[in-house]
Amino acid sequence: MAIAVFVIAAAMAVLGGIGVVTFHQPIRSVLSLVVVMLALSVLYLLLSAQFVFAVQIIVYAGAVMVLFLFVITLLGPARELGRGRLRFQSWLSALFVLALLGLMWAMLQGVQYRQPDKADLSIFGTVQWIAVYLFTNFLYPFELTSILLLVAAVGAIYLSRKRIDDL
Amino acid sequence: MSSLSIGGSQLDTSWFLLLSAVLFVLGAIGVLVRRNPLVILISIELMLNAANLTLVAFSRQLQNYEGQLFALMSMTVAAAEAVVGLAILVDIFRTRDVEDIDDLSELKG
Amino acid sequence: MSNQALALLVLLFPIAGALLLAGRGWRLPRVFTVIVGPGVVWASFICTLALFFASAAGDFTYWTWIKSGAFAVPFNLLIDNLSIFMCLVITGVGGLIVTYSVGYMEHEDNPSYARFFTYMDIFIFSMLLLVLAGNFLFLIVGWALVGLSSYLLIGFWYQRPSAVVAARKAFVMNVIGDVGMILGTFVLFVSTRAVTYRKVFDAMSCSHATSTYCFTFDSPTLELAAFLLLVGAIAKSAQLPLHTWLPDAMEGPTPVSALIHAATMVTAGVYLVARMHPIYDVATYAHGAVAIVGAVTALFAATIAIVQVDVKRVLAYSTMSQIGYMFLAVGIGAYSAGMFHLLSHAFFKALLFLAAGNVIHAMHDEQDMRKYGGLWNQMRPTSVTFLVGSLSLVGVIPFVGFFSKEQILGAAFSRPGDNAALILWGIGFVTALITGFYTGRMWWLSFWGKPSPERPVDQPHAPRLVMMVPVAILAVLALVGGFIQTRALGVGPSVVSDFLDNVVTPQGWEENGAAIGVGIATMVLGAGLFWWARSLRPWSARFPWAQRLLEHKYYFDEIYDAFFVRPLDWLAGFAVRDIEGPVIDGVVVETGVVARAGAGSLSLTQSGYFRNYVLVFVGGAVVAAVILLVRASS
Repeated sequence: MAIAVFVIAAAMAVLGGIGVVTFHQPIRSVLSLVVVMLALSVLYLLLSAQFVFAVQIIVYAGAVMVLFLFVITLLGPARELGRGRLRFQSWLSALFVLALLGLMWAMLQGVQYRQPDKADLSIFGTVQWIAVYLFTNFLYPFELTSILLLVAAVGAIYLSRKRIDDL
Repeated sequence: MSSLSIGGSQLDTSWFLLLSAVLFVLGAIGVLVRRNPLVILISIELMLNAANLTLVAFSRQLQNYEGQLFALMSMTVAAAEAVVGLAILVDIFRTRDVEDIDDLSELKG
Repeated sequence: MSNQALALLVLLFPIAGALLLAGRGWRLPRVFTVIVGPGVVWASFICTLALFFASAAGDFTYWTWIKSGAFAVPFNLLIDNLSIFMCLVITGVGGLIVTYSVGYMEHEDNPSYARFFTYMDIFIFSMLLLVLAGNFLFLIVGWALVGLSSYLLIGFWYQRPSAVVAARKAFVMNVIGDVGMILGTFVLFVSTRAVTYRKVFDAMSCSHATSTYCFTFDSPTLELAAFLLLVGAIAKSAQLPLHTWLPDAMEGPTPVSALIHAATMVTAGVYLVARMHPIYDVATYAHGAVAIVGAVTALFAATIAIVQVDVKRVLAYSTMSQIGYMFLAVGIGAYSAGMFHLLSHAFFKALLFLAAGNVIHAMHDEQDMRKYGGLWNQMRPTSVTFLVGSLSLVGVIPFVGFFSKEQILGAAFSRPGDNAALILWGIGFVTALITGFYTGRMWWLSFWGKPSPERPVDQPHAPRLVMMVPVAILAVLALVGGFIQTRALGVGPSVVSDFLDNVVTPQGWEENGAAIGVGIATMVLGAGLFWWARSLRPWSARFPWAQRLLEHKYYFDEIYDAFFVRPLDWLAGFAVRDIEGPVIDGVVVETGVVARAGAGSLSLTQSGYFRNYVLVFVGGAVVAAVILLVRASS
């Protein structure tokens, strides 16, 4: 049963990914990405990451993707025209990317796992469990990330303010 | 060693990792080949998500908290980065209509 | 105050004066320079006197200059009778000359005035360092600094091109001597592993306590070292063949000529041989070379002096000749005779130069003797002092020149079992006669007879007191100084010999009666020629080819120019044109060009296209993955 869930979610993710890359209209790319996000959240749930599942949907699919949608509506649905100026780009890209895939496949085939820590799977991935570690071991990154968000917010406001004088 | 017992069935961690690799590579293709700046940003988000999947998979395999927490941080950073990137894009779009990222090539040496 | 401190003070006063004048002198009123300039020299003289009366002796080390493993060079001063003797000459006669130049240089503006005394004080310091140094390295330091001071002072009126050229010539020839000195020191160091006099001389005497090496007679290494040191002495003392700089050095102000090119610097070579007497006593060939060089130079210079028309040039060649006598003396082993002549020469030659300076000053810088004439009536005191100096130079009793010169000639004459010394005596004898002649010519031409119609000044003014008093003091010294050592007459005191003989090797033989007689005869003949020169005015050119040869100074300048100066000039031009430009500048410029080209080609990677950059990222990731994979599998 879990395997079936995995297969479906994985298939959706891959199809969504292909959709992101191949659709010409950006709005369709965004929606494909939303599909990928949702598929991934299912996979997170499969991996006993309840909190991450929730955050993925709320933050990623809910906020970030909506932001993208807003920008696309603001800027207009531009279509890519022509063939592009860089001549060998597509060939070289295909080459490198396939090489990368092959290498990653090779690496992942030979992964040697260490002995897993014995954790309590009943609370593994729950909100309390995450909270404990978030505010103890990961306190420093947590605080820094909040500052980062502040910086991003200020930056976004600054960058998008209306210019009165000439740029 | 790498099998997980989830919901009564036996899944394998390496499947998740492989899926993550495929998604990553798809995102890379998108960044390399597409010329619309928005689509490029979207592809970057796809790559980040793939990485997050790897993190969570390992977290489950090793029954460790680190992977999931790092995935949380990664999501936050990705959100911030998307915000700023889009702000910049909007700013550029105000002055000129960018359909092709190859048009933005003044910083050449 | 201890002797050690006094010795250091002797050195420190002049350099302190120089620094003071260099820093502040040109800004403060002239009286400051007048007090500090000569004052420090006199202070040094007083300290030297204190050392003299205390019979100070010692090898004082003040600090270690270089210490590298087992090799250590101390800053040490060797105080013994020889160095005190030289210091007395330098500070005493130097003090008189520096005082004199307070008046002579009065026409300079304040900065130049202070500059002059700065240079003079630097010179005094360098010369003192040279004679006081207790090891070879500081000897060389003093040697080089003296050369530098000479350059600065000859070229003092640097706006004159001839002065600049002369200064450069003097410096270059001095450097040739410096190289000889340095190489000689190297040779000695390689053999004895020591640089202090004490250690090196111990190796000469084979004393086992401090020496690690023992030189035997006729050892070739020692001869080599002695010859190399002799090269230095020859250059500094303007002996053949490194003599051409001295006449040109007369471009400098007259006090400079008096101090540096008569009384002190040019006598440094004599001091060197005397100081290095342990080496020269053992290296007989080099020792003989000293005497031969001296004798030949003496004759050579005297012949050239006959045809000179510039009063300072006559005195310059005369100096060359008299130093030849000193070399002759130390070369045959009569060290104290040579040093006595050094002292007496300092007296009368400084006297001659300063008195000539009085004349030049009064004649508005005219130095051509043919334009003088008849000064006896108009500048009586100067004429008298000049006469005293001239008679001293010729060697007439009772002046000091007689006693010192005849002692040398007597020593050469009576050296037992040595025919070579007799030949040298013969050369010295002929030179003495010629000396009488040219000195007489100089005096009669300048001071007697009717004033020349080309005289620039009809009523020359009497010299100032500050210029007359040193001249008078020197005249008195030239008059009575001889009586401290009357060995030339076979009887009487020999203060100088007694003083120095515990430091330098005593003269191993006594002058016999024949020597004394010959000495008197020389004096009579010399004086006769002095008188005879009076009747030969005006000069008649009876032997035009000889006249030309002498006027061109035996064509030495021309030979050197053709053999050395021109080829080196060409070489230098070639180096600048074909090496400096294309190669060295080229390398530097080409490096820049290459860097530019490289940067230009590298900057092509900055295409400006975002997707190119990402491609490179991915390529890098692929490479990293390969490396990781390889590492993981190995």
